[in-house]
Amino acid sequence: METSSAALSKLIPGPDEPIAKRRRAWRTFKDVLAHYSIGIGGISVIFSVVLIFFYLAYVVLPLFKSAHIEPLVEYNLSEGITGRTLFLGVEELAEVGFQVTDQGVIRYFQAENGSEIDRVDLPLGESQITSLAVGRLDSGVMALGLSDGRGLLVQQVFKVSFPNDVRTITPSALYPLGEEPMVIDEEGRPLVKLALSNNEDGSILLAAITEDGAVVYNSIMVEESMLGDNEITSTTGILPVMATRPVDVSVSGDQRWLFVADEAGAIAMFDVSEPDEPMLVDQQNATAVGQSITRLRMLMGGISLLVGYSDGIVAQWFPARDENGHYYLARVRDFDAGDAAIQFIEPEQQRKGFVTLDAAGHLAVHSSTAHRTVLERDLGRQEIMEISVSPRANRILILPEDGYLQVLDVENEHPDTSFSALWQKVWYESWEKPEYVWQSSAANQDFEPKYSLMPLAFGTLKAAFYAMLFAVPLAIMGAIYTAYFMAPKMRSYVKPTIEIMEALPTVILGFLAGLWLAPFFESHLPGIAIMLVLLPVGVLVFAYAWHRMPQKIRWLVPDGWAALLLVPVVGFLAWLSFAISLPVEELFFGGNMRSWITNDLGIDFDQRNSIVIGFALGFAVIPTIFSITEDAIFGVPKHLTNGSLALGATPWQTLTRVVLLSASPGIFSAIMIGLGRGVGETMIVLMATGNTPIMDMNIFEGMRTLAANIAVEMPESEVGSTHYRILFLAAVVLFTFTFILNTAAELIRQRLRKKYASL
Amino acid sequence: MTMSGEQTPTHAMDMSTVLDRDVSTQSLENEDICLTIDNVDLYYGEKQALFDVNMVIPRKKVTAFIGPSGCGKSTLLRSINRMNDLVDGCRVEGKICLDGENIYDRGINISDLRRKIGMVFQKPNPFPKSIYENVAYGLRLQGINNRSTLDDVVEWALKGAALWDEVKDRLQENAFGLSGGQQQRLVIARAIAIQPEVLLLDEPASALDPISTLKIEELIYELKSTYTIAIVTHNMQQAARVSDYTAFMYLGKLIEFDATDKLFTNPSEKQTEDYITGRYG
Repeated sequence: METSSAALSKLIPGPDEPIAKRRRAWRTFKDVLAHYSIGIGGISVIFSVVLIFFYLAYVVLPLFKSAHIEPLVEYNLSEGITGRTLFLGVEELAEVGFQVTDQGVIRYFQAENGSEIDRVDLPLGESQITSLAVGRLDSGVMALGLSDGRGLLVQQVFKVSFPNDVRTITPSALYPLGEEPMVIDEEGRPLVKLALSNNEDGSILLAAITEDGAVVYNSIMVEESMLGDNEITSTTGILPVMATRPVDVSVSGDQRWLFVADEAGAIAMFDVSEPDEPMLVDQQNATAVGQSITRLRMLMGGISLLVGYSDGIVAQWFPARDENGHYYLARVRDFDAGDAAIQFIEPEQQRKGFVTLDAAGHLAVHSSTAHRTVLERDLGRQEIMEISVSPRANRILILPEDGYLQVLDVENEHPDTSFSALWQKVWYESWEKPEYVWQSSAANQDFEPKYSLMPLAFGTLKAAFYAMLFAVPLAIMGAIYTAYFMAPKMRSYVKPTIEIMEALPTVILGFLAGLWLAPFFESHLPGIAIMLVLLPVGVLVFAYAWHRMPQKIRWLVPDGWAALLLVPVVGFLAWLSFAISLPVEELFFGGNMRSWITNDLGIDFDQRNSIVIGFALGFAVIPTIFSITEDAIFGVPKHLTNGSLALGATPWQTLTRVVLLSASPGIFSAIMIGLGRGVGETMIVLMATGNTPIMDMNIFEGMRTLAANIAVEMPESEVGSTHYRILFLAAVVLFTFTFILNTAAELIRQRLRKKYASL
Repeated sequence: MTMSGEQTPTHAMDMSTVLDRDVSTQSLENEDICLTIDNVDLYYGEKQALFDVNMVIPRKKVTAFIGPSGCGKSTLLRSINRMNDLVDGCRVEGKICLDGENIYDRGINISDLRRKIGMVFQKPNPFPKSIYENVAYGLRLQGINNRSTLDDVVEWALKGAALWDEVKDRLQENAFGLSGGQQQRLVIARAIAIQPEVLLLDEPASALDPISTLKIEELIYELKSTYTIAIVTHNMQQAARVSDYTAFMYLGKLIEFDATDKLFTNPSEKQTEDYITGRYG
């Protein structure tokens, strides 16, 4: 059929006809539209990623903000009061302050201007106050040591009420053991140093140094009798005479340990859990040449002993166990708190931080866990009578000898983070040695938060490692076979089937892994072990046997379909492995392989362990790796494989020498994308790892990954708290992980591509 | 180079040296036959692509296959070293014998067969390796890894493919850095490095510029003293220039097979005449 060009030109409008112009305009419009919408799409993707980064930075950066301190007010506190101030304190909201003088007066005042609210005269009788000690910081209990060897317990209570919708704080003083002081020194000597520990269960331990250098104590138990009265049992004791004069005394929060520092610079640790038989457990020479101990104070929680030295050093000590389980006094870390003798050590009430002041007026705020001095300030050389840290650690009160109280405002939100706390081994309170630990919260208030990201980063890599160990060989071998040896018809079934596995919600995989696979594995451990050996060997044996079959039988199966024969073989071998699992367990492992591993091999075993994760996470990663690898191998140009085959190469030679080489950039990015997925995967690891943040390559134990950790703890963390921000920091670390992985992968891939790019 | 003589059957020496394409009395009766193609039918699935092809390919001569697109000339060439086996659903009936042995026999090892019958494709297909490794590839496949042997063969093959002078200073560079014509000669060097008996060239110059084409043609002329060459080409001038014998195919059938001079100057078939005078194609 011929069409003349004249007839054609009637069908096709000329370039100047209106319809042609309209079509051109429409085409241009579509072109421009596509151009800009693609551009806007691309830019908004970049913009959202940048926004995510900004948000992460916005949440995380306050962790690294340095602390600030500035003077708030200053006023005369000595008006209307006589004697020296022995103790200075404020209540939780830092609105009402109080001072205790050596004249036996407690005076309450407005913290903002010093105007008096109330005053209480303590029932001291003829005795003088010679020393003062505070107990649990949140109990408001303090003890006054008297000149007659007795001690009086006083509790400050601040009642908050809202008459007429105005917050009113009413202070009052209570006497938990009654107004009659307790005898501490049977001989009635004046008590020059005093230490107090009071527990919620009503036990109290008072220890004191007498004027002539004896160390005495009284262990008191308050029990409510059936009539509602308090029944008090008290046991006094005296420690063996020390070689040199004791300087200061302190007691641990659990009332087991009594620490005494002496003039020679030694610290003795006594076990007074049996008050009748004090036992010297350890004695350490705690000073260097020229140093002496000036102050002992317990850190919040009553475990760590802070020791102030004459040269401005503060050391943290606590009782730790050695390899034999014996307690000894361990020097954990030192803080440089100034150049002159440490005069005051004031622990914070809600954190493991403390404030120090040396004789030269150098004020410093420290965080013990983070091993960090967050703030330093020189107050100038002045005689300081007393300092105080508010319960929320947002105010520091300093009372010089001249009576003009300085109130400092402290902004120190996140002292607990430092490089060493996040990434290095930290010697936590009561631990035997420094460790990497993640333990962000506990039931008790005076708990030391442990924010080491190492176990999480390690767990992330461990999970990814075991998943890759399982997934990479299977996925890549499978992809090679599918792309290169499999009959095209069979490939058209196999490939989409594996790819559709990727659409499986990971929550289902995690659910199956955690609730079905893990218990199943645990009860069929020998079966797993047998399968891991039997399956590959069995498949190889079958392949060889098939190869040796007479050709007549082999020709029954068309080229490239032989893999289908393996399906029943694999099924049978898997069934066989688990079928002989129980008999094998009976025969070799005494009927319980799990306890055999734990007891005979000495390897810890968790039900939710790395094998389960390897299977489950590996299963999630396989489709990704398989699909990309398959595409890469299938995409190797036919003219390359033909060129190799035409030179007399066997298919295997062609595969190993040409195909894999050309496909290597694709295979490499497949592995990297799979690894990225393994690192970032959340639901599976959340449900099947057991979430134990341990650092151990043991295949029979679980792990906690960064992603799972965020998922577990984010809902429970207080917005804006250190914990919350550290969880975001974990997200940044995760982001960095994947970012580095992807960047490295892309760089290497580009390189490989340049080297092995096909035409 | 001593290796070039290894596979030369001595009884054919006198014949091939006296014969030349200028001698118009060339005829198949005088030739030593290397390959015979007997009643070959070839199917791609249901579709038949070759119909009862019978011909011979004489040793140490250039045999050209011409014909319009889709006439089956490439298919026939590719069935000579069983590259068609790689095509899904391809089936061959009849016999193709190399030195009297049917290459479609079940006992034939395809890798060995392809080593004896080398092939060069239309599109240059060097491997993503260095120039040296490309040429050494076929030898390494056979387990020859001795460095000095490889060095000798690589040099000999590159010289044989007239590429040595251009690449001798950059043997370790990636083969993709060569021009298209150089790549094609590299591929020929790669093919002759394993010293095949037969060299199948599937439109080796169609993707090249005229100067590269000329070089390839000169190379073919050189190579025929050592190898039996079968070449598929679209280009009738090329066939006339390089070949001793020409087969004209049309719609899967071998229409005419004769000495090149005879076929181009005095074809026996009307269809051949129509084709070479440009009436279709």
